[in-house]
Amino acid sequence: MAIMQPRVFSIRLHRTVQREGQIWLICLPIIAWAVVFCYLPIYGIATAFIQYVPGKPIMRSPWVGLQYFAEFFKNPEFGMIMRNTLAIGGLNILFGFPAPIILALLINELSQGPFKKVVQTVSYVPYFVSWVVMASLIFALLGSEGLLNKLLLSLHLTERSILFLGEGKYFWGIIVIANIWKGIGWSSIIYLSAIAGIDQELYQAGAVDGLGRAGMAWHIILPGIRATILLLFILQMGDILNAGFEQQLLLGTPQTRSFYEVIETYAYRYGIQMGRYAFGTAVEFMKSIIGLGLVFSLNSLFRRTVKISVV
Amino acid sequence: MRARYIRKSVGSRIFDASNVAFLLLFTFLVLYPFYNQLVISFNQGIDAQRGGIYFFPRAFTLDSYAWLFKNSKLLTGAVVSLLRVAVGTSTCLFASALLGYITAIRYFSGRRFMRILFVITMYFGGGMIPTYLLMLKLGLLNTFTIYWLPYLISPYYMLIISSYLNQVPDSLFEAARVDGASELRIFFQIVVPISVPVLAAVSIYLMVWQWNQWFDNMLYNTKGNWDTLQMYLRRMLLQSEIALKIQAEAVAYHKFMSMTPQTIKAATTMIVTIPILVTYPFFQRYFIGGITLGSVK
Repeated sequence: MAIMQPRVFSIRLHRTVQREGQIWLICLPIIAWAVVFCYLPIYGIATAFIQYVPGKPIMRSPWVGLQYFAEFFKNPEFGMIMRNTLAIGGLNILFGFPAPIILALLINELSQGPFKKVVQTVSYVPYFVSWVVMASLIFALLGSEGLLNKLLLSLHLTERSILFLGEGKYFWGIIVIANIWKGIGWSSIIYLSAIAGIDQELYQAGAVDGLGRAGMAWHIILPGIRATILLLFILQMGDILNAGFEQQLLLGTPQTRSFYEVIETYAYRYGIQMGRYAFGTAVEFMKSIIGLGLVFSLNSLFRRTVKISVV
Repeated sequence: MRARYIRKSVGSRIFDASNVAFLLLFTFLVLYPFYNQLVISFNQGIDAQRGGIYFFPRAFTLDSYAWLFKNSKLLTGAVVSLLRVAVGTSTCLFASALLGYITAIRYFSGRRFMRILFVITMYFGGGMIPTYLLMLKLGLLNTFTIYWLPYLISPYYMLIISSYLNQVPDSLFEAARVDGASELRIFFQIVVPISVPVLAAVSIYLMVWQWNQWFDNMLYNTKGNWDTLQMYLRRMLLQSEIALKIQAEAVAYHKFMSMTPQTIKAATTMIVTIPILVTYPFFQRYFIGGITLGSVK
């Protein structure tokens, strides 16, 4: 601003109040809301470190330090939970990360026209549908009376219905495929717009150098969207411990529990359903710390090697 | 565009053909499960159990839907869901847009503070349990308010609106201020009209999100008097008591004998999905617009 600020503080304050008073007035309830709904829960993380008694304020409860964390690690189910979390998260990344990239590349190869639009539009329909509906569709497809079984039976590929949803060994595959089905179209949009941002001259130069279509894809497109790919990769790796939650709750059955129980469902089960609030908080908190640590370490690794950085 | 520079070799043509075939198959696989449920929902229950219904109902009936609409729990669920969408979308849109405007006011000294205050919440949160305990203490369990109040301000949408407004010349607002308009008035009479494209995109995201929410219902409103449609569908999927109920009613009222849990589930699934699928073509273009607006961040 060209106007010089007066040196006397009280005059400055008065001027500020005059000009910005209204705005600050509007901000007050907004700040209050943020404190209550966003920052108080963060303060509530402290319950992970104390002996929590409902109703007793945090400040007056005895400190137990890392007791709950230790309890979680020593739990006999800990191995199973970590295995499931890492397996589902890892498989999600292994298959779910390249899938939208491949779809984007394939869609990109289509010539402009109604078909291209239709494919795109259809591909992100599952994204807008809730997981409850997805679960309903999956039950209808894979249930013992479901479409797939009926098909297999009528083609005599199997004598009895395969219990896809009742046997643990199928669970990981089902979840990964469900995640891909739901998210592939939506994620491909990001890659498609990144591809659209590649300089057209690069293609011409590549043609001059004798690149065929495969060559174009490998040498021009992929390096061109490299930044986007690595960025999203870091973000998704940080999410690896978020191996899903709604899906497990909806698709899991007691028979498949040893395959679907992940950190978050465990925290929900013990933290809320069984009322062990402090323990559940500790479990969840540990998970977010590890996730953050992963993002930061991956980020610094990438920043040093390939000069990409999220943070 | 690129094709001009590449000779279409045989390999290229084969690839194109298989690409189209593959993507056709892909499109079919994505859509078919929905279609399958649609067809089953219009089919008679006992007949549907035989299987083999793939593209058309074999024994057409509207009985499953008729039973559902006579069922009061479904109707209350639908009302609650619609209410959620209406209240939740409008409140979040208003609050986030207002905050977006405030953080776009150039001479506002608290601008950076407000922005950071909310950006932090995007990355740090209390987690499920501390939030649950807070709702417990605030007396928000088993209420309708919990469907919108905790989501009142979205930092993500605030940033989108804020970066949109930053591209608007300040003179527009200054002129109004010189004329003595209050900030709220400026918001409603200037900011909102010029932000219609952004607000439209954001409101569509919000509406879809609110419609699809089910876990907050399950977590906080356990008594069941504020159940949404999604929750109703979930109960139906996971509990066989519905099956018994249907059977009992079917025996009592002969005209509904043509339903089974399978067709009822299919019909319910369609009812929950149809609003989205039907409005989808209309608001589809706003999603893409919304992404590019958001990518400014």
